[in-house]
Amino acid sequence: MSWLATLGRFAGFCFDLARANTFRMPPPGRTMEEAYRIGVQSLPVLLLISVFVGTNLSLQGYAAFTPLGGQRLVGMFVALAGVRELAPIIAATMVAAKAGTEMASQIAVMRTREQVDALEVMAINPLWWLVTPRLLAIVLVMPALTVVAIFTTIASSWLVATAQLGLNGTEFLDFVRTSIDAKDLLACELKGMIFGVVICLVSCFCGFTSAKGPEGVGQATNSAVVIASVSCVTLNFLLSQVLYG
Amino acid sequence: METLARIGRFGLFGAAVARRVFTPPWNTRDFFRHTWLVSTRCMGPVVAVTFPFGMVIGLQGLQIFDLFGAQRMLPSLISVAVLRELSPMLASVLVAAQGGSSFAAELGAMRIKEELDATEVMAVDSLRWHVVPRVLALMLATPVLNVMGTVAGLAGGFVMAVPIQGEPGGVFLANLWAFTVPFDLVVGVVKTVVFGLLIGLVACFHGYYATGGAAGVGKSVNDTVVHSVLLFFAANYLLTSAMFAP
Repeated sequence: MSWLATLGRFAGFCFDLARANTFRMPPPGRTMEEAYRIGVQSLPVLLLISVFVGTNLSLQGYAAFTPLGGQRLVGMFVALAGVRELAPIIAATMVAAKAGTEMASQIAVMRTREQVDALEVMAINPLWWLVTPRLLAIVLVMPALTVVAIFTTIASSWLVATAQLGLNGTEFLDFVRTSIDAKDLLACELKGMIFGVVICLVSCFCGFTSAKGPEGVGQATNSAVVIASVSCVTLNFLLSQVLYG
Repeated sequence: METLARIGRFGLFGAAVARRVFTPPWNTRDFFRHTWLVSTRCMGPVVAVTFPFGMVIGLQGLQIFDLFGAQRMLPSLISVAVLRELSPMLASVLVAAQGGSSFAAELGAMRIKEELDATEVMAVDSLRWHVVPRVLALMLATPVLNVMGTVAGLAGGFVMAVPIQGEPGGVFLANLWAFTVPFDLVVGVVKTVVFGLLIGLVACFHGYYATGGAAGVGKSVNDTVVHSVLLFFAANYLLTSAMFAP
């Protein structure tokens, strides 16, 4: 039953965070700093991963549609699978793996060195000081990263489709353009923001509740990335059901 | 230059591990223990991720096939997508996040507390004793977890299509294997063995060479997840090209 207790503690954590922020401005100047850190750190990883996701979408679409004689449909396949589902979830997993683990380990290290207690002694609410800027920053940055992921995925799959598979590039882009519209992009942005909130809350929670010492830090970082990515994928299904179902 | 040096050190580390894999003595007890632990720890996350993903493919695929009136094709799409691509990738991402990072955390903590140095002082080869069983355990556990992921993904697609969207269940099951060939199973196994090897090497490398106290352990866990995911996405492109491209 220990997971139930953890769930309750997580709800308490969210409640405390909300209470720490009512009628109070976020810590001045920290948000943009965190946004810069999260965004710039995750960007190279995200770019590389979305390049490979795009290349594979093209290859698999080609392999799946060739027996039916529908190689031309690869563009549609890339647009629907890549933009609607894969780009937001790839961005979320990479931000969880890079920025989320970093949040968890930073806070866990502060916990180990008793810097969190030191904040409390100085009458600064640690949730307000440590979590609020990260939460605002990730909500600000996630939609931008999602757009970057979408663009990179489509660009790299276009490259593979034309250079490696010998498809018609113009036709590919036409299929991409007709299969998705502005509503899909808005849905992606919404998904990105929600995933950002989940990643930040889960990672900071794992950091705050970590055990002391090196094992505690490692354990907190480990569970942060696992829980964050599993809950993002599960939420992704619910959001898709609501937005497209 | 720092990055280049690290890549070189990683190559040497891989060679050192490979040499110890093929020469006795083998630490079989730890190998079985780690395989069991990794499989049981990753089972929940893998199933929890592939099942909703199968449902999402069902949801999106139905919308496309509704346009052409070809709902019959949905199960074939689900089985092809899950078997060839999604289940190997998602299972490996979760193995990297759960299994790989926990190995990095364990080895990192052992390095920081100087337990690895203590093993060396007792004339026990720490690579042979601590690293080789972990790498081999991930190599064995990832294909097994991939099979579970595949079953869960197909079940997710079935749950979405039949009970939720009201497609006929018999048609779903009859068309499930229309486009899949036995070769697809080989694809999944080959991919996941390679990915498991990469995850194991990266995780043990970062844990084994962790420096800088508790913060260093956090950093090595962080690097493990990011680098192993990058590496096996790149490997996936090459493997898919080799097996499917014209």
